[in-house]
Amino acid sequence: MKNRTVILPIALCFLLIVLSVFHLTTGDLNFSFSTFYNSIFNYNSANSTELIIHEFRIPRLLIAMIAGSGLAVSGMLMQTLFNNPLAGPYVLGINTGSSLFVACSFMTGIPFLTHDFSIITSALLGAFIFGLIIISFSSFVRSHISLLLIGLMLGSFTSSIISILQTNSSSEELKSFTLWTMGSLQSVSFDQLPLILLVFFTGLFLSLFLIKPLNTLVLGSQASRLLGINLKTFRLACIGITALLTGLVTAFCGPIAFVGLAVPNSTRLLFKTQSHGILLIGNSLIGACFLVCSDVLIELFEPYFHLPINVFTSIIGAPIVIYILIKRLK
Amino acid sequence: MIHLKNCTIGYSSPLFSIDDILLKKGSIYALIGSNGAGKSTLFSTLTNQLSTLSGTITIASQPLQSYKLKEIAKKVSFVQSKTDYPDFLTVEAYLALGRTPYTNTFGRLAKEDHEIIKHIIKRLKIEEFLPKFMHKLSDGERQIMAIASALIQETPVLLLDEPTAFLDYGNRMKIIKFLKEIAVTEEKCILFSSHDLELCLEEINQFLYIDQAEKKLILANDLTKEALLERAFNLY
Repeated sequence: MKNRTVILPIALCFLLIVLSVFHLTTGDLNFSFSTFYNSIFNYNSANSTELIIHEFRIPRLLIAMIAGSGLAVSGMLMQTLFNNPLAGPYVLGINTGSSLFVACSFMTGIPFLTHDFSIITSALLGAFIFGLIIISFSSFVRSHISLLLIGLMLGSFTSSIISILQTNSSSEELKSFTLWTMGSLQSVSFDQLPLILLVFFTGLFLSLFLIKPLNTLVLGSQASRLLGINLKTFRLACIGITALLTGLVTAFCGPIAFVGLAVPNSTRLLFKTQSHGILLIGNSLIGACFLVCSDVLIELFEPYFHLPINVFTSIIGAPIVIYILIKRLK
Repeated sequence: MIHLKNCTIGYSSPLFSIDDILLKKGSIYALIGSNGAGKSTLFSTLTNQLSTLSGTITIASQPLQSYKLKEIAKKVSFVQSKTDYPDFLTVEAYLALGRTPYTNTFGRLAKEDHEIIKHIIKRLKIEEFLPKFMHKLSDGERQIMAIASALIQETPVLLLDEPTAFLDYGNRMKIIKFLKEIAVTEEKCILFSSHDLELCLEEINQFLYIDQAEKKLILANDLTKEALLERAFNLY
């Protein structure tokens, strides 16, 4: 038992490093370690290799890691909060909430609202509001499956509103928004990374404070209340952090499906524990590995056909959901 | 330990009332009543999830309503009749959760917490179960673990909602005898609900029942089966 919790994270870190090296070196570009070092700390835009590494490879790698970790941790929070292994930011419509708010700020066409910071803010706000909607539904919908159906319906309802917005917008706005919805790890630039890293680590840091209530919540909400946990505060905090992480990822990469659902389930199976401190580490690492690995595969397929990240994760994620459903309902 | 005085208990409309009942340390009480009489409502009230419609309840000479969430968790522990345990929750991790009201923000167990957990594990002789998963235990074993966790919570009051439901005769006997013993040795005030009339009449001599005619919670000693059936279930 103890071995698992020590060896697995180390192995996963190692795997992540290997995958990162693969990720950075896929393609025709050959470079030495010193070029790589220079491109970060000694950047010279006249050198085309450094330019490619600095402007494309590094941001893409980092955002893949952050998106994977962020969504996996959000998924874990949602699954324990709703006591439902099929919950996740995407199936519960929280991503779509972000999309709606981002769409609104794109469609207004006001330059201020299409700035990075405004996009993040609206994505966060959308995720948070939709999180609150789902939580208020969950108080009177007891069945797990029903809550998911409500989440999915909320998602498609919101998607329709987004479509209405799209048909009534100018071609310029439509283009930038449509590109955004395809989900992409390529739209982040090096200069945006500090802000993204700051928000991401804030989210991870804050989730440390949820470990204790999460651990008790696996016994059910009544039991954790009787152990002295203030559920109201906890639920709000949980939704807040999920909104922060999901909103961040959605703002920069578009809606990415199923990572938040498939990764936490796999993590639990792999680590065989309900200790959320360990699961938090596990989810961050496995989420990062999963998305970096997916992106390496996408890069390898690139010469033959273009695969948006959202499509790829759905192809892998949907069968996993079906598998869990069958296992649960049996 | 628990003092109920001139209370009415219920959700929006009163289910039953209580004149004056004192539940003492080192004693065990069986709560008997038909379905829907208000046994669960009484537990909800005693765990401060529901307030009394009128009157006050004091636990450890402090009014129940004045307790904060964390404080009441140090006074009253509650064992639910059946909990669904998730996959991969080990007995060891489950028992540690009993210390939740005492641990810091991150839930880290202090040296003292480890000692208490160790003491209870030794006391109940459940060492062999520690690495096992909760959902793989039998119903009887799970009930023992739930009681162990409640003991680890170190509360003077221990409430159990039908601890013998879902168990076979041997295990029911074992649990009740075990609770009886704990009440004395650990100086607890134990109140449990049960539909196991025969077993309770045999083992327990203090009963709480909800008198169906008067809609009142009554504390009685050494009842006969007939008297209990008549008053609590309106039979005969």
